[in-house]
Amino acid sequence: MNNTPENSLSEINSNEPTQQTQELGFEFRGNGMEYFRIWIVNILLTIVTLGIYSAWATVRNNRYFYSNLYLDNDNFRYLADPLTILKGRIIALAAFIAYYLTSIFYPAVAVVLTIALILAIPYFINQSIAFNNRMSSYKNIQFRFKGSYKKAFMVVYVWPILGILTLGILYPLALLKANEYVVRNSAYGTSNFDFNATYKDYGMIFLTALGIALVVGIPLALITYFLPAFTVVSTILFVVMYFVLIIYALVSFTNLFYASLSLVEHKFSANLTMTGQAKVILINLLLTIITFGLYLPAAKVRMAKYICSCLTMHANGSLENFSAAEKESISALGEEFGQVFDFV
Amino acid sequence: MFIDGVFLDGITSKRNTARLEVNNDHKITHVHLIDQQQVISFEEQKYVVETQLGNTPREISFEDGQLFYCDNHEVIDRLISWKAKQLSSRNSWLYRLESNFKTIILSTMATVALLYGIIIYGIPSTAKIMAHHLPKISSEQLLSSLDILDETVFDASELPVKRRQEIQALMAPYLSNHKNLQPRLVFRSGMKANALALPNGVIVFTDDLVNLVETDSELIAILFHELGHLTHKHMTQRIIQDTMLTVAIIFITGDVETFDLITGLPTLLLDLAYSRGFEIEADNYALTLLDKHNIPLQSFIDAMTHLENYYLEHNEGDNNAVIDFFSTHPKTTDRIKLVEGFKN
Repeated sequence: MNNTPENSLSEINSNEPTQQTQELGFEFRGNGMEYFRIWIVNILLTIVTLGIYSAWATVRNNRYFYSNLYLDNDNFRYLADPLTILKGRIIALAAFIAYYLTSIFYPAVAVVLTIALILAIPYFINQSIAFNNRMSSYKNIQFRFKGSYKKAFMVVYVWPILGILTLGILYPLALLKANEYVVRNSAYGTSNFDFNATYKDYGMIFLTALGIALVVGIPLALITYFLPAFTVVSTILFVVMYFVLIIYALVSFTNLFYASLSLVEHKFSANLTMTGQAKVILINLLLTIITFGLYLPAAKVRMAKYICSCLTMHANGSLENFSAAEKESISALGEEFGQVFDFV
Repeated sequence: MFIDGVFLDGITSKRNTARLEVNNDHKITHVHLIDQQQVISFEEQKYVVETQLGNTPREISFEDGQLFYCDNHEVIDRLISWKAKQLSSRNSWLYRLESNFKTIILSTMATVALLYGIIIYGIPSTAKIMAHHLPKISSEQLLSSLDILDETVFDASELPVKRRQEIQALMAPYLSNHKNLQPRLVFRSGMKANALALPNGVIVFTDDLVNLVETDSELIAILFHELGHLTHKHMTQRIIQDTMLTVAIIFITGDVETFDLITGLPTLLLDLAYSRGFEIEADNYALTLLDKHNIPLQSFIDAMTHLENYYLEHNEGDNNAVIDFFSTHPKTTDRIKLVEGFKN
């Protein structure tokens, strides 16, 4: 159908180079034992320095994960300077203590402070995402994030509240809006990311999860009501069902996210499976419990390896044509405030 | 000397196979871009060799934002050992710490020992000291939960008024002995047979509890147990402990992204362990007071036995072993043994 003479002529005369889609896999080249060594030394030094080293530890841990993440044979880099993070943490901690003391001795002032904090949260989230993005680079081009307070406010408060008010019907919309906001305001150098999912995509996942819960849950509840001896077994089955639903949500939302993500003409996709993800989580849980937590770093590595193995970038053209954005300077304060007050 | 690797200029994402030229003063003088057959000359470029991180490529970052990386660890190590002792040697001690097998074993053992000490001794002792030194105002404001309980699990008591007045009159002298705790006895229905001590001094007896006991001395024994909780400020301690524990775990695992179940479990298990210690402390206090007021210790044993039988009746079909493990109270048989020990 495409081989008519006119088409061949236009191909020859066209100035556009023919775009070939390259399937580029993400690769995580770290390994658990290697990361364990870095992790355990970090913890020891953090404890010995009563937490001051934690800024260096965070940077080193992040550097390990970024530097071992490969795409198209280049790795990512985490650029944050530990001193910046330490300063941010000290300020955030001081603010937290001040807030706590004020709430004990001057409760009226504390109320005002709480309102101020609620209003400040969207600002801090914006700062935090911007800092994180700027501290990440690929092929020595930094990422960026340019948020707006108004939109952040909508995403943090308005959409979720609407979701709750409509008894969950609009909640998938809240998720969609949140993802859209973060992705569409993020950029790689001067090129913006885009996000193309619909309310229906998110809604279907919620409905399916709800469906499973009802189809399994109601008969179970009825049986337990009429046969009390069944209680132990049914409790176990409820836990299993809950676990299955969590895995389902995790896998579906991750796959949906990457399928909807795009960077100019390049696309992405993810093909996590429920069995694959469940296997990773169960092994991690089991080994972490057996080793009283010492397996945690290796668990992180295992999870990273699995997710990367399922991620693909569909590159329509070369990845070498991106340009860096202008230099900016953002303090770490947003990120550290976020962590101390527990909203990022 | 020459170092082969990849050069990224930080302005575009183009990857350039390159060769660094280093002169005898350890200054990087040129970057030869092999594919373009170009040479970039550096005059006074400062450069930093990033710390080695596991097996990731070695990075050299330049003042102007360019990046060079290579896999040849030997050559980079040579470059570092050439350079003056400032930054480089400080960096390599960390890498040496992370690669030395003996150090890793030592770090792991030291970390486990330190953590054990902190969790088993440090946190409880600190919480105890803090609980007893909290300003009075905060205890009342932050920790008064009777209203919440009234709106959720409690209903008004249905005991005959005369019976309630009887009990109040009986308990009044003991309560006035503890004036500093500002104790108050109230009656509620709901929550099966139970007694609670809220941090602001309110002690709750449920209707089922009052109807369960055979003699009023049992009620006195239970009152003394609750007064024990109040005197030792157990609830406050528990809140402080749980907070410190959660903070410590977040601190140590470095991030909150790891699967939540893993990090939540230790807090839950430790909270249960701590609370059994509190119960034993409260039991000892009760026995001491009973002794002081010449009330037979048997009333304590009777109260425990009645409660155990009551709960056995109301929980048939539940697996006892599982309940014991997750129970906040020590086993009744253990508590009765405590009485025997006390008598001697």
